Amino acid sequence: MKVYINEQEIVIFAGACIKDAVIAYSVESWKRLKSTKMVVLDRFGNMTDPDGPMMDGQKFTLIEI
Amino acid sequence: MKNYNSILIILSVLLAVYIKPVNAQRKPVEILILHTNDMHAKIDNLGKLAYFADSLRKTHKFVYLVSAGDNFTGNPVVDMIEDKGYPMIDLMNRCGYDVSAMGNHEFDLGQDKLNARMLQATFPFISCNIDASQAEVKQMKPYIILKAGRRSIPMLGIIELGPNGLPDSHPSKMKGLTFTDGLKKAEEYSWLKKKYGMLIGLTHLGVETDSVLAQKMPEFDVLIGGHSHTTLSHPMMVNNVMIVQTGSSLKYVGVLTLHIQHGKIIDRKDVLVPLSSIAKSDPVIQALIDKYNDNPELNKVVAEAEEDITGKSELGSMMTDAITQQMKVDFAFQNTGGIRVPLLPKGDIKLKDLYRLDPFANLIVIYKMNLQEIKSLICTSFNRSKEIDMEVSGLKYTVRTNAAGQCADVDLVDLSGAKLDPLKEYSVGINSYIAAAYKWDHRDEGNTTYTTCAQALIEYLKVKKKVNYKGVKRSNVRPVE
Repeated sequence: MKVYINEQEIVIFAGACIKDAVIAYSVESWKRLKSTKMVVLDRFGNMTDPDGPMMDGQKFTLIEI
Repeated sequence: MKNYNSILIILSVLLAVYIKPVNAQRKPVEILILHTNDMHAKIDNLGKLAYFADSLRKTHKFVYLVSAGDNFTGNPVVDMIEDKGYPMIDLMNRCGYDVSAMGNHEFDLGQDKLNARMLQATFPFISCNIDASQAEVKQMKPYIILKAGRRSIPMLGIIELGPNGLPDSHPSKMKGLTFTDGLKKAEEYSWLKKKYGMLIGLTHLGVETDSVLAQKMPEFDVLIGGHSHTTLSHPMMVNNVMIVQTGSSLKYVGVLTLHIQHGKIIDRKDVLVPLSSIAKSDPVIQALIDKYNDNPELNKVVAEAEEDITGKSELGSMMTDAITQQMKVDFAFQNTGGIRVPLLPKGDIKLKDLYRLDPFANLIVIYKMNLQEIKSLICTSFNRSKEIDMEVSGLKYTVRTNAAGQCADVDLVDLSGAKLDPLKEYSVGINSYIAAAYKWDHRDEGNTTYTTCAQALIEYLKVKKKVNYKGVKRSNVRPVE
């Protein structure tokens, strides 16, 4: 499936969670997310846990906190 | 007769005068619905939740506690014991849960264990779009009616379906079950709103789908949601439907306050309360949580190591053999960074040893790959640190390095030493970390099995009973001559 992290298209296996897409986007970003220096927002601007599931076409944004 | 009529008129007027002010002055009834979702077997905060809920029950007449699904999967003390899921339902019963939606991960237990958990629960599981009439698991109700004095509040359960038309769990767990599109099915229950004047969804759909449902069905007053692990610090309003959700892993409890007057919800608000902010815990439930966390079942012997299983090569070979055997794939790979103990000593292999060996809960992902793609995967892994980075099952490989120490080619043979077929497509199981982090050439996007590598390893060892990996080495490096 295709999802978007910071507007970058990520092709990832079916059933992947947000964490997997962030790792595919950048392992460094995943480390920052794990250490709570970053958060993931969905397209509505809601904070979403990295272990949340994804649907094809979903868009997420990583922001520093 | 004239006098009789006059008396009737006077009585009617008196009654009207008497009743009208009472109706006008009748205070709205306040109802609190405490909600959680996607707890994923994280039991540690349930003592605080119980204390919080009980405190509110002392000061409010109508308090309900509901779960929007995915109570299981995510904690070995709940998931990996013989009576899978028992501690979670025991604690939810004690907290006083009134209802839970079915979530996709409820099915991870397997239908026989799910049945046992549904029987154990003192609250119902609900979902309107599951037909279990041909399945082992018992049919759940589509909705429940919460009673608040004379008022009846209908709550409709809905579960998400993935692109394959099934909830996100291993398809083998869905035998005999039929699922229908929750958004379509929910429309069949709009009569609940007409009959009771209000309607609440207890959904396991995720915020994206909840927002579509809200657009389609403004009959819902509130959607208490789950699945997407979204922390809605402020409720989302879509088409005048309020959508609430508490993230995951029981970090928050949502407090939905409804005011009902004349059979309608006239006011609604929702706040998230961080459970870390609640200082006290129900002592009885906390003692149980401590007991479950110290579960002796984690000391249970799964298999016997006939010799020490030492180093990445031996341990990784065992871990990947578990994937090929359990998932029935040709080959499997395990990154060495995910092998977290230096050895399993000769003797008993306990459940807790395996969680130390593989603590990441990575899922197994299956790809169809040809020889070139397998070589690309191996080269990509090797070039990350110019050393063997993946252990393997089903084949042996030798990385041929160039002068810069990078992978130039890979020699591959099966375990009997025969070369692999360059025209064949092989099934390959890898963990979700490799699947996400390694950028190798492949056409198949891959499919998760919803099974963790640790689960596969436990099941593999239970079947094997005795293992011996002494001297097993399936990967090598050799410079190009």
